[in-house]
Amino acid sequence: MLATIEQIIVNGLLSGLVYVIMALGFTLIFGIMRVVNFAHGELYMIGGFLVLVFYSLLGLNYFVALGLAAIVTAALGAIIERLLLRPLVGRELSGMIMSLAIAIALQSAALIVFGPAEQSIERPISGVWRLGEAVIPKDRALVAGCSLAILALFYAFLKYSRTGLAMQAVAQDPEAASLMGVRPGFIHSSAFAIASGLAALAGGLMAPIYTVGPYIGDLPMLKAFVVVILGGLGSVPGAVVGGLLIGVIESVAATFGNSTLALIATFVVVLAIVLVRPRGLMGKAA
Amino acid sequence: MKTLAWAIAALVLATVPLIFGDRYILHIGTMVGIMTTVALSLHLMMRIGQLSFAQVAFMGIGAYASALLTMRLGFPTALSFLCAGLLAALLALLIGPLFLRIKGVYFVLLTFAFSQIVNLVFQDWTSLFGGNNGLFGIPKMALFGYRLTAASHYYCLAAVLAAVTYLTVRAIRRSDIGTVLSALDENEALGRSLGLDALSWRVGIFTVTAFFAGLAGSVYAHYLGFLSPPAFSFWTSVDAIVMNVIGGMATPLGPVIGAILLVPLPELLRDAKQFQLLAYAAILIVFLLFFRDGIVGYLAKRQRATS
Amino acid sequence: MTAGLTLAGVSRNFGGLRAVSDMSFETARGEIFGVIGPNGAGKTTLFNVIAGVHPASDGRISFYGKEITGSRSDRVSRLGIARTFQATNVFKEESVSENLRRGALFGEIHSPLAFLRRCFAGRAPAATRPDIDEIAAFIGLADQMGKPAGSLAYGLQKILGVGMALMQRPRLMLMDEPAAGLNPTEKTVMAALIARLRDERGIDVLVVEHDMKLIMSICDRILVVRQGCRIALGTPEAIQADQAVIEAYLGADYEFA
Repeated sequence: MLATIEQIIVNGLLSGLVYVIMALGFTLIFGIMRVVNFAHGELYMIGGFLVLVFYSLLGLNYFVALGLAAIVTAALGAIIERLLLRPLVGRELSGMIMSLAIAIALQSAALIVFGPAEQSIERPISGVWRLGEAVIPKDRALVAGCSLAILALFYAFLKYSRTGLAMQAVAQDPEAASLMGVRPGFIHSSAFAIASGLAALAGGLMAPIYTVGPYIGDLPMLKAFVVVILGGLGSVPGAVVGGLLIGVIESVAATFGNSTLALIATFVVVLAIVLVRPRGLMGKAA
Repeated sequence: MKTLAWAIAALVLATVPLIFGDRYILHIGTMVGIMTTVALSLHLMMRIGQLSFAQVAFMGIGAYASALLTMRLGFPTALSFLCAGLLAALLALLIGPLFLRIKGVYFVLLTFAFSQIVNLVFQDWTSLFGGNNGLFGIPKMALFGYRLTAASHYYCLAAVLAAVTYLTVRAIRRSDIGTVLSALDENEALGRSLGLDALSWRVGIFTVTAFFAGLAGSVYAHYLGFLSPPAFSFWTSVDAIVMNVIGGMATPLGPVIGAILLVPLPELLRDAKQFQLLAYAAILIVFLLFFRDGIVGYLAKRQRATS
Repeated sequence: MTAGLTLAGVSRNFGGLRAVSDMSFETARGEIFGVIGPNGAGKTTLFNVIAGVHPASDGRISFYGKEITGSRSDRVSRLGIARTFQATNVFKEESVSENLRRGALFGEIHSPLAFLRRCFAGRAPAATRPDIDEIAAFIGLADQMGKPAGSLAYGLQKILGVGMALMQRPRLMLMDEPAAGLNPTEKTVMAALIARLRDERGIDVLVVEHDMKLIMSICDRILVVRQGCRIALGTPEAIQADQAVIEAYLGADYEFA
């Protein structure tokens, strides 16, 4: 049976929402710290493993486990920022190489603690809903619902909290922000912590749907990377639009063709965007 | 005189694996030679302030080009070897004017996307590149009618390639081109106001580095006789970057030292495979935080301090 | 009068903002040509358009009959138009003499092809030791040759900038606020140097400057710019008497010496 257009779009939006959550953190780190965080996928992976520990091993409620995973990863993120990235502030390339080192360290730590095998997590919810022609698996809907809630919370945080406003100020003009009394160190730490928490949430949400293993972060990292370039490095609305767009594009490609070809096509688009409009589709003009 | 002493020391050191003749040591030595070449190619790009993930893609293009020209078109391997370098250089010459207008983080992202595309094409175009199953049966190399079959032959070939690349990079940096490169990194606007066509120099350097990376790929292909896409993945680029960081980027000697130290590392830590990566990451972090100029930079500083 | 640098209807927009509007003028051979105007009048943009940093949005620029509209800064430089910068701009780590050598070197090996041509032609480099020494003596830095450029006093770094521009053997020197940041003594030295560029080396000079005293004392003709437009052009005496110019500066703290 051929999937209907509705189904393709629903599938795309469902996975796209998770990309959005990944991309938000990635773009936040870039916007504020000017670091391309190659370790972002590993934070996703840590989130998945923590949900495995809290939910499957310790038997906590799934949502409690998810929240704990986010908090622990956020704390880890703050420590990483303070100890490893802070000394390299202002040196873009070194910061990027450091994020590579962090990625390798986290991946190998997971390998040592949990072993290389992929482990599955029991789904907190199963079954499907029917929406006209489209079928919506309940577990995917849960992920999408949680993602939307996270997105709303994040938006409110940026818009209304003091820290959120300070972050926007730092992203726009670090010097002016520091003149106005914003402490850049605190902002960097909290941005990295929040981004880490977001990545962990994405990992924790997807963990029951796929499996958990040391290498599960590679692909989401690649996706976040593509989304963020599409939407514009440092742009929050760009990450949202880019994430949904990539979700739908992938869904179409998965239905009609070869997914490797789709990935090649995505990277060609990314290449073209960096060449023509390096700040992305919705990024700030030069 | 001092240069001569260094050259003799290097030569002696290079013959050690040949004397031992152990296959295993020769293998590591060959890989050191190949990775030295790639790391030096990256080094030159970093000297103009551009961290490039494209160098490993050029290595991959050289490797597959050399293998396929020999296997499909029956080119003599010596010609394939040369073509591997030239094809990589030609590609760099074509994409360079587009890519090198972009700087900083965006250039990194651009070359990252480029290397992903190249690698995905290797994976997906199975009829030509063999996909993830790999490309088998690549013939051994023959140079000047002499077939290179033994491990020691490839060790010598890789060592010579690495030495030639090193001497070229060194000569470039000591000539007026080196002055141009440091001006591009330091103050491009001033250089341009004095007449420097910055883009054409960047493209020129990119082309030269692609040439050497392509040659390294060719040696790799004919040495192993087997190619698969993961050899040219993101992580190989990371290795080349790490070699530059740990060895130091102030002189071309840095990446050479980096390759000599890092390539054998996985072999030394063979008994503790899962700790291998952790050690690798820890070393990288220590160097980024405490030895920013790498080993060569650190030694130079100490020497200055004592004298 | 031979026309040197010629601008015909040159404009430059930034987004919706018109920084330079329909600018036309000609400089003459052997002339020191001044450009003045209140802050934000578009002087710097005009300078950058001529120097090839920003392309003109509209209009044509030529230099001794050669079209240079749209040429980038490196090509403009190789066509015989050197420039100096408002702030000091030297290779700080390198010695004074290396900075001077680079002034000639970069035009000569401007591209890899030019470098290869030099290699195969076996030509002697454009900047030989005597050339460098001669320029160093001309700008008065002969006794500082070995020092790192970054260690020189601010004023001397600006003088070195003039020397590097001179090493290109230009026909025209564009100077962006040469007196900015200099003390009165240094200003006198700089003014004398600008005059000697023309008198002793036959170089045309176009100078953008805030310092009225300096401009009035060295320029043959002065262009007054306001809001991107030309409001007056003439000899220093004529400019000082011009009603439009006086109005443009009214309220600003300028004194005509």
